[in-house]
Amino acid sequence: MNPLISGIPVPFFLGLAGILFSIGVLGVLIRRNAVVIFMSVELILNSVNLVFVTFSKSLSNISGEVVVFFVMAIAAAEAAVGLALVIAIFRQKKSANVDELQEMKW
Amino acid sequence: MGEIISMIETFSIELAFFFLFGTICIGTAISVVFQKNPVVSAVSLVFMFFSLAGIYGIMGALFIATMQVLVYAGAIMVLVVFVLMLLSQRAENLSKFLNNPFKVVSLSLLALFFFFGLYSALNMGVPNAYQSGKGYKTTESTSVYQYPIQGTSSVSANGNAATVGAATYLEYVLPFELISILLLVAVIGAVILAKKRLGEGSEAKDATL
Repeated sequence: MNPLISGIPVPFFLGLAGILFSIGVLGVLIRRNAVVIFMSVELILNSVNLVFVTFSKSLSNISGEVVVFFVMAIAAAEAAVGLALVIAIFRQKKSANVDELQEMKW
Repeated sequence: MGEIISMIETFSIELAFFFLFGTICIGTAISVVFQKNPVVSAVSLVFMFFSLAGIYGIMGALFIATMQVLVYAGAIMVLVVFVLMLLSQRAENLSKFLNNPFKVVSLSLLALFFFFGLYSALNMGVPNAYQSGKGYKTTESTSVYQYPIQGTSSVSANGNAATVGAATYLEYVLPFELISILLLVAVIGAVILAKKRLGEGSEAKDATL
């Protein structure tokens, strides 16, 4: 395992990815707007991509970058379906606030 | 922590670009979460995607950096901003921001500086930018794939499109095809979810959405 990627230590990248992941989780937890929650999920997926690319470079194995490509495709699909859901809910409730969605509460 | 510090022999240009893009990345990510106006968080998210693309460029993963700009900063952000504009009840916040010339000029200068940094990072900071990857060889007239390299099952991570493409289509063909099915299902689902009910009649006509 190569400890340096183009002169930068691997823990720097992992720390950056950890910080981004934490910010994304914070956004999912504290925001009320559904679209902003989707943006926070994108932050989480991006931090995971950074970890994949870091270990792909560090271990000199290209498979991590292929997985990043797949994660991007999944993120695109998730954004399409999720935003369509937001539009459908907004048409019903006239609001994109997740606090007002309580139909499935029991 | 001490051993990490001792790993850095010299303060290289890559490290400088890493700190620049890392700082922008964290700052814009915080801005995504804590901005009141969703449109401002969307713009912050675009900057965050671009700075992450710069970090991928520094690492030498040029294909991933390109896909980051194309897929995330291009396609997904267009979708998000489109939906935000459909839903937005607070568009006046943005026009108030745009009426302040000082803020507009400072934001433009910041964007200019940022994209200059991205451009320089992709030009100077990238190791192996002009080296062909292992498993891929260009001779005078033809490009040759050598896959797998003797004794290994995977190509070396040099990060250009040729090696990633070789690994995708030779080692991960089945997941790749499954991804295409998933995208098809997602597109059909999105259309079904977002279209109007067919029998809704006259009241649907003057509904805002």
